[in-house]
Amino acid sequence: MYLIEKNNVMKLAEELAKSYDLYGPVIDNETKQVFFNKVESASEISLTAEIPALPPKTVVFPQIERITQYKYDKVGKKAEIAMTYDDRSKAIFGIRPCDLTGIIVLDRFFLGQEFVDDVYKEHRKRMFIVSNTCVVPFKQCFCVCTDSGPAADEGYDLNLTEIGDMYLVETGSEKGKAFAEKMGLKPAGDEYIALKKKVIDKSISLFEKVATDNKAWISRIMNRVTTGFIKDEVWKHIGNQCFECGACSFVCPTCSCFNIEDHNRFDGSTDRLREWDSCSFEGYTKMAGDHNPRHPVEDRRNKRFFCKLSYSQSKKYLRPGCVGCGRCQWVCPGDIGLPNVVTYIRREITE
Amino acid sequence: MSNMDNKIVTLPEIATIEEIKEEIQDVKTFYIKFDNPEVQKNFKWKSGQIVMLTIFGAGEAAFSLPGAPENDRFHLSIKRVGKVTSALFELEPGDKVGIRGPFGNGFPFAEFKGKNLIYVAGGIGLIPLRSSIVHALQHREDFGRIIVLLGARTPNDLMYQNNIEEWLKIPGFECYVTVDQATADWKGETGFVHTLLDKANVPVDNTMAFVCGPPIMFNSVIGELMKRGLREDNILSTLERHMKCGIGKCQHCAIGRTLVCTDGPVYTYKQIKTLGEEI
Ligand SMILES: Cc1cc2nc3c(=O)[nH]c(=O)nc-3n(C[C@H](O)[C@H](O)[C@H](O)COP(=O)(O)OP(=O)(O)OC[C@H]3O[C@@H](n4cnc5c(N)ncnc54)[C@H](O)[C@@H]3O)c2cc1C
Ligand code: SF4
Ligand code: SF4
Ligand code: FES
Repeated sequence: MYLIEKNNVMKLAEELAKSYDLYGPVIDNETKQVFFNKVESASEISLTAEIPALPPKTVVFPQIERITQYKYDKVGKKAEIAMTYDDRSKAIFGIRPCDLTGIIVLDRFFLGQEFVDDVYKEHRKRMFIVSNTCVVPFKQCFCVCTDSGPAADEGYDLNLTEIGDMYLVETGSEKGKAFAEKMGLKPAGDEYIALKKKVIDKSISLFEKVATDNKAWISRIMNRVTTGFIKDEVWKHIGNQCFECGACSFVCPTCSCFNIEDHNRFDGSTDRLREWDSCSFEGYTKMAGDHNPRHPVEDRRNKRFFCKLSYSQSKKYLRPGCVGCGRCQWVCPGDIGLPNVVTYIRREITE
Repeated sequence: MSNMDNKIVTLPEIATIEEIKEEIQDVKTFYIKFDNPEVQKNFKWKSGQIVMLTIFGAGEAAFSLPGAPENDRFHLSIKRVGKVTSALFELEPGDKVGIRGPFGNGFPFAEFKGKNLIYVAGGIGLIPLRSSIVHALQHREDFGRIIVLLGARTPNDLMYQNNIEEWLKIPGFECYVTVDQATADWKGETGFVHTLLDKANVPVDNTMAFVCGPPIMFNSVIGELMKRGLREDNILSTLERHMKCGIGKCQHCAIGRTLVCTDGPVYTYKQIKTLGEEI
């Protein structure tokens, strides 16, 4: 544990910017919206900004990216093909605990199953992560229901917690430790363990008053979702409200479905692109001869919530798939973000 | 033996189309050889597995491996249906393609020892079953009866006719064929494929059935087999879903809680029933 004065904390980001491409929460000057962007200078980053509209998963899993490039000379019968990995060193500064948990979920999914996803692995290989404890929740948050905040306890190189006019700097890796030493940070005394706990307890106590948008006691319904003992009417009700716009998947820090398409360029080469996709789209499982095995929209909804809320899927993530960021509730035109779905299912349980 | 380490997971390996054989209308068989001899040597598969085939400039798609695992030439039998497959049909021997795989679980052959094997295929449903049939015939003494029941729209839609003639020379191989619409010179059966079950007097005890074909045929055959007393977990099929990555990541092939590319494509009917989706 180390300490750094509040007005010096951005020096950490400045130092990181020397050896990494730096990403962090940025408040747009005009619209005041928050995005998690690549920045030219550390000063663009705001540690007090609300959670960004799109999660920082964009850094490790971009909306669209070229994964392979090839060229085929049909006359000479010569083919060349190569992966085009993103091998930059990237530092993310000021990621919130829910979004960091999102990255942990993606790590477990992309790196921890039968196959390793090499494209994702390259993104993650050279990364430095600085997380930021939420000393107050935002309106849409429910990380306390999903065990993913308001403070991070794993997955970071450095974790910042604002305590008075200082930031407590915890190290979560050798890399983080070496960096803190190199920066000559002042060690923090043991009293800061209790001080940090007090800050977190305060933050949790504020949820009742501040984070009023969403509640989702997911632990109560996981069993039901897993075993499938939910009335068809409930899924139908949920499905009927879905516009199949895909917004929920795009803003979700743990949604990772993608599509792969080959895009031919004028110079005769081809880019193989992978881009975000959503299980709510009708074309998602379409097959030859217009045969679509997953017809009704409620089945597709069922799929997304099964992915977030079932034990079987949790086995892949080693935790529930929802990290309580509230974004899907925020963007959904049908008002069936995950918290509302949990409510519908719970209501059916109590009735 | 596991060939896990020799799987081509991420970057397609370049291979050459050596030979192309016309099968039936819109279906051709492509014999393929990897350009890198090391890769060619190490490329091993199990019956029921698949590869992802890249056609340069068009894209990538999933195809079953019809070759027998031990000593068949690497080939794919492909029906022209859309973008990737149409681009493939433009290619000639000597052209290059890309291959990833093999992927999927394959048939659990060790469990079939000593059993009767019934294969029921409709149309190009014979493609994913060919590997298993040839493998079983190569180990004829390990199995009881080996019965192949084929249905096709017309005699001209029968896959692998040359192969079938070869197989018929193997003692104890039973094959019955029926077509929906006979042509003038057709001397065989007409009618749907499930009518062959009686003709062949299929066994049900100590028996595994493999069923592949269009959904309507699939359902009627399964119904008939179960009526005769075959158990749900002794009926196997391979499922097809839209596949993009082949390695369990894109989720395009998800059916309920299973992924066809890594958990499948081979499932028992018992499993298929619990997936909660159409075939
Ligand atoms: C496990 C498995 C094994 C298969 N084995 C064989 C085989 O041995 N021989 C064979 O000819 N075909 C096989 N297929 C089907 C083959 O993958 C599709 O025919 C192929 O992807 C179509 O590509 P396309 O670009 O030519 O068609 P497109 O232009 O993409 O589409 C034409 C039609 O096919 C549908 N389609 C597109 N991609 C797929 C896909 N991956 N799976 C299913 N439907 C799709 C589209 O929705 C559209 O209706 C298999 C599929 C799977 C999943
Ligand atoms: S399901 Fe909704 S609330 Fe949960 S992590 Fe995804 S976007 Fe956030
Ligand atoms: S955001 Fe809402 S309407 Fe849009 S796909 Fe998701 S659940 Fe459906
Ligand atoms: S094809 Fe991508 S998950 Fe199965």
